[in-house]
Amino acid sequence: MGCDVLVIGGGATGLGVVRDAAMRGWSAVLVERVDLGQGTTGRFHGLLHSGGRYVVSDPRSATECAEENAILRRIAADAVEDTGGLFVTTPADDPAYADRFLAGCAEHGVAAEEVPVAEALRREPRLNPAISRAFEVADASIDSWTLLWGNARSAREHGARILPYHWVTGVLRDGDRVAGVTAQDNRGHREVRIEAGFTINAAGVWAGQLADMAGCPGVTVVPGKGIMIAMNHRLVGTVINRCELPGDGDILVPIHTVCVIGTTDVKAPTPDDLSIARDQVQEMLDAGEVLVPGFRESRALHAWSGSRPLFTDERADGAQDTRHMSRGLALVDHLERDGVEGFLTITGGKLTTYRLMAETVVDAMGEQLGDPRPCRTAAEPLPGSEDGRPYWLGSRLRRQEEVMPDDQLICECELMQRSRLEAAAASRPGLNLDDVRRVLRLGMGPCQGGFCTYRAAGVLHAIGDADGPRADELLLQFLHHRWLGIEPILAGRGMRQACIDDWIFQGALDVEHLPVTPPA
Amino acid sequence: MTRVAVIGAGLAGLVCALRLAQGGADVTVFSRGTGGLHLTPGMIDVLGYAPERVEAPGETLAGWVAARPEHPYAQLAGAPLEEALDWFRGVAAPLRYGGDLAANMLLPTAAGVARPTAMAPAGMAAGDLRGGRRVVAVGLRALKDFFPAYLADNLRRAALPGGAAVEARHAVATWSPRPGADVQGHYFARALDEPGARAGLAAELRAIVEPGETVLMPAVLGMRASAEAWEDLCERAGAPIAEVPTLPPCIPGMRLNLLLTRALGEAGGRMVVGPEAVGVDGSGGRIDAVRIRDAARVRAVPADHVVLATGGFESGGVELDSYGAVREPALGLPVAGPPGGGRGLGPRHLDEHPLMAAGVRVDDRLRPVDASGAPVWGNLRAAGSIIAGAVPWREKSGEGIAIAAGHRAACTILEDT
Amino acid sequence: MAHPLHDAVRGSLDNCVKCTICETYCPVSAATPLFPGPKYVGPQAERFRGEGPSPDDSLTWCSSCGICTHVCPQGVKIAEINSIAKAEMAAERGIPLRDRLIARPTLAGRLGAPVAPLANRLARNRLVRAAVERAVGVHRRAALPTWAGRTFQSRTRLRRQPPGRPGERPAVVYFHGCAANYYETHTAEMAVRVLEMQGLDVIVPRQGCCGLPLQSNGLYPAARHYVRRLAGSLAPYARAGHDIVSTSTSCGLMLKREAREILDMEDDDDLRAVSGRMYDICEYLALMHERGELRTDLLTPLDMEVPYHAPCQLRGHGVGTPAMDLMRLIPGLRPRQVDAVCCGVAGTYGLKREKYDVAMAVGEPVFGQVRESGAELSVCDSETCRWHIAEATGVPSVHPVAMLHRSYGLG
Repeated sequence: MGCDVLVIGGGATGLGVVRDAAMRGWSAVLVERVDLGQGTTGRFHGLLHSGGRYVVSDPRSATECAEENAILRRIAADAVEDTGGLFVTTPADDPAYADRFLAGCAEHGVAAEEVPVAEALRREPRLNPAISRAFEVADASIDSWTLLWGNARSAREHGARILPYHWVTGVLRDGDRVAGVTAQDNRGHREVRIEAGFTINAAGVWAGQLADMAGCPGVTVVPGKGIMIAMNHRLVGTVINRCELPGDGDILVPIHTVCVIGTTDVKAPTPDDLSIARDQVQEMLDAGEVLVPGFRESRALHAWSGSRPLFTDERADGAQDTRHMSRGLALVDHLERDGVEGFLTITGGKLTTYRLMAETVVDAMGEQLGDPRPCRTAAEPLPGSEDGRPYWLGSRLRRQEEVMPDDQLICECELMQRSRLEAAAASRPGLNLDDVRRVLRLGMGPCQGGFCTYRAAGVLHAIGDADGPRADELLLQFLHHRWLGIEPILAGRGMRQACIDDWIFQGALDVEHLPVTPPA
Repeated sequence: MTRVAVIGAGLAGLVCALRLAQGGADVTVFSRGTGGLHLTPGMIDVLGYAPERVEAPGETLAGWVAARPEHPYAQLAGAPLEEALDWFRGVAAPLRYGGDLAANMLLPTAAGVARPTAMAPAGMAAGDLRGGRRVVAVGLRALKDFFPAYLADNLRRAALPGGAAVEARHAVATWSPRPGADVQGHYFARALDEPGARAGLAAELRAIVEPGETVLMPAVLGMRASAEAWEDLCERAGAPIAEVPTLPPCIPGMRLNLLLTRALGEAGGRMVVGPEAVGVDGSGGRIDAVRIRDAARVRAVPADHVVLATGGFESGGVELDSYGAVREPALGLPVAGPPGGGRGLGPRHLDEHPLMAAGVRVDDRLRPVDASGAPVWGNLRAAGSIIAGAVPWREKSGEGIAIAAGHRAACTILEDT
Repeated sequence: MAHPLHDAVRGSLDNCVKCTICETYCPVSAATPLFPGPKYVGPQAERFRGEGPSPDDSLTWCSSCGICTHVCPQGVKIAEINSIAKAEMAAERGIPLRDRLIARPTLAGRLGAPVAPLANRLARNRLVRAAVERAVGVHRRAALPTWAGRTFQSRTRLRRQPPGRPGERPAVVYFHGCAANYYETHTAEMAVRVLEMQGLDVIVPRQGCCGLPLQSNGLYPAARHYVRRLAGSLAPYARAGHDIVSTSTSCGLMLKREAREILDMEDDDDLRAVSGRMYDICEYLALMHERGELRTDLLTPLDMEVPYHAPCQLRGHGVGTPAMDLMRLIPGLRPRQVDAVCCGVAGTYGLKREKYDVAMAVGEPVFGQVRESGAELSVCDSETCRWHIAEATGVPSVHPVAMLHRSYGLG
């Protein structure tokens, strides 16, 4: 297999890069070691930044966020819900920060307007009534998977090839030039060799490892791990930020049917460490209580962690604690830095700035190739967003009402119908239930797979997508993966649900004794 | 007449209340809503895994509790359990429960596992896989809680004693009681109470089933508390049919709920559904009244004896707060958490999770005890999965504990009066 | 709509474990596939409701009978979630004139009372009813009550005692509701006589509508206004220590709990005072019996079997079936509880042209058992249910106090 541009990494940045390159007329291929969006992109809180969060601590990021926010609302309307955002000064915050915040917003191009506290409380009745000031900003929530699928579809329409479940095993070198990669196709169980005129490393938090493989050591990407907790329903309808320097647990993001409290920031030993420390869970719940009194008594659904790619190198002034490392994007020019041609690394940044990162690195590639071509990604909407209509929370319910008597509701909590599951399986044979979750939100609601896992496995078996042993494996694997995000926050009504679910799986179905071994 | 307040309307609460009413007590069941029987598959598990599959539950129990003095069966195995199951068999006669403590049956689950259980209604016991069997799993097209092909596929690979095997194939029947692609089990069940509906389904089954085969169907064959619909369908289809429980709500559990609540009413017991028990009044080590919160207020309901049958974590009988503390919310009783302290949850879903065995500890008369082993109240008893020490869905022990404890609690109250 | 869902209601969706027990009991979804069931439209759909238009239409088929909340073992306020969502949808889409009319029983009561014979004739005239169905949308066969002529209020001037005045005998307040004031004045008279039989003085203050029909038709601001006015007139009695006893299960429940939860009036002091003292009459008499204060010695035998239907709204009180306990005290009387959850009418639901058939299908199990009993009358605590059951079966239906009244030899 050969191409002009090979992109490594199937997160938002990689998809953005492959789309951008394809739109500029280069033949492009993307490889991703697991499923698209299974890394940091799919493991965030869902906030489309207004920029407000960084106006004091990281002004360049703030301006980038503000500009990209406006672009994404246009090109990825389908993924964005216009929730609006509030920065609020709680009793736990330094009251002096609010004025610095307002000044910073004005200076760095972030729209913000003070609203009376009473107005903020009317809009968000569960918000802590003791807040002293409130500012309205253009925050929104964004579904990173919808964004990814849109980029992937668009890239394919422009001729790109996207290869999930392709694990890069080696980087090909042709003298001083990177000439592509070898990868293990984990679905087809074979090794593939992809030759490329140019290779872009968009492996995010894994970018340092990839650069190493390419013979460019010393690219340090620190995994800044954060945990997030989704609550069972929307306690707020607006993104709520603490009006304070960025800290732990200071944002609450309403997205789809849930709201997500985030997040912590600790240096993880490896980007693959997804563990959820119990003290951090407690910290998040306490932080939620500051924003919404009674938060602890509300039902927590699921917890997860993701690692931000925080780029440092010896030339930077070098904050050592991850909270204070820049959220700005980082372009590493390996020709200049390592004398290696045909290879660029793009890392750092945030989901909000993924498009800008892609534009930046593809521009740099064009320059290096002596073939600059204009970027069009800021103007052309993603497939599904052509009408510019933003995401609406009620859309799934409206759709279910339309198909109701003629389709089966497989996942009742998130309203996923059988026809959609069958269509997903037809378009991606051999998919697992986590893949289904990322595309269709299977098992993401209150019962966390209690009622839909058996049904989904049964459907995939019934349509011939999985044989008996595979269906068993899918079922047990999905339950186990759900458990990883349930166990750390198990309490209250979540505990009730977990026990009901166990009555179903162990009591009624006896899945412990399926004729396969449970996953390790 | 002795006034007894039973809190909770699951299997333990209903068994206890019915036994009390039969014994002449003035019983009122207080329940926040319908009890949990709707969620149970309708079999009577006594002990299914210990942790290896149990063949003879009665025999295995003796050694098993000797090694687990903190398990509810430590107070119930032997005579109390045997008496309770005999009594239950009589009470539940219209559902014709078969099986006993001598040997577990192996009944197919909807996932195609051969699952051990001690007793089951006739319609389910007909699917006993011991010794091997030829089956055809028949799904209903509009019912999403039963996948016959998956069931059959797994049953072919099921491990049965003595190397017995299951020959299994599958089919789908299209009969449905209402239009649409998504019809829940209880609509099928209610419709199949009518002979006309059974005739329609039976016609399809006759065309499917081959001689020598047992038909495995989702357990939706009639809602009434009797074996009548199932028997009639077998006759009309000209083949043995066995019911396989589906996802909740499970119709066989609902039938049992119906049977027990009706029997309770006929025996003079009362059910007050809706209010929540929020505490007790008492002095001198005895409860005088249960505090019940109804639509408008908390009122004290006088009681000579109280039975707490509010269930485990699954029904809120025991609660885990966000700090990790375990409480008994209704009466504030002391709770035995996971042994050895700690969080008691394993890193993998199907690990052992000792936390899930949390509950109240009881003495030999099923009175909740404090840390020193002394009864908290002389006239308070606990029954069912609120009793600490068991993880019923894992052990397959839930109904045995519930029936034995409910029955035993009632008997000790009747002895006391 | 600006009204935020009260946390106690919306927040209760966190309790849902998807067990579906509510749907196995729902009488409406059992009767029609048009209604997908309370779990679906309740805790499930609620997570998808936020800013913007109401996404779901199937919700409109919910009759608000409240069975779902009653049977939920986890404490989800399913019916309340649905009521609030329905009201928001109604406010957004416009409330039809018909719903505005049937939501105001005082209006119909006041208009009809002075001309009762004429009004009653018209209400039973086929041509008139057909015209009303076409013009307004009230089904031509839906049961309407019979105007009594003189209201109960106008007959009871002598019972206007001020709160707290020490009398020789303990005094209770009788809350009659609209039905007993304009239509079933005989039920009110019987209730007063039965209470007096227990040695109680009965006070009947001036009182208006509790706002329940307004609430169930989505007219929340007007409903709150009615509740405030009524609570204001009853609260002085409650504060003076008088218990308030009601023969209307639904209006009593409105003042006990529904107004606080559904109309978000938890902070209304008058209402809280009234809630704490409000009793359904059978609940009250059964509690008197529990204390040994009920005059069972004066009950004379009634040798008959009567089918008894416990109405949905009574279940909401969470007091069991005190009417059954009381009727069992009457020698010779054999009350048999009907084995079905709902008669279908659910207040005003069964009056509506588009809902009438569903309501009749919902009630069929009740009607069938009443018809098959062969009894000369049936018993039910709720007035709209009585009218509906009587109309559907041809068997008269009475309040349980009527049985006590008869057994006490009062008429």
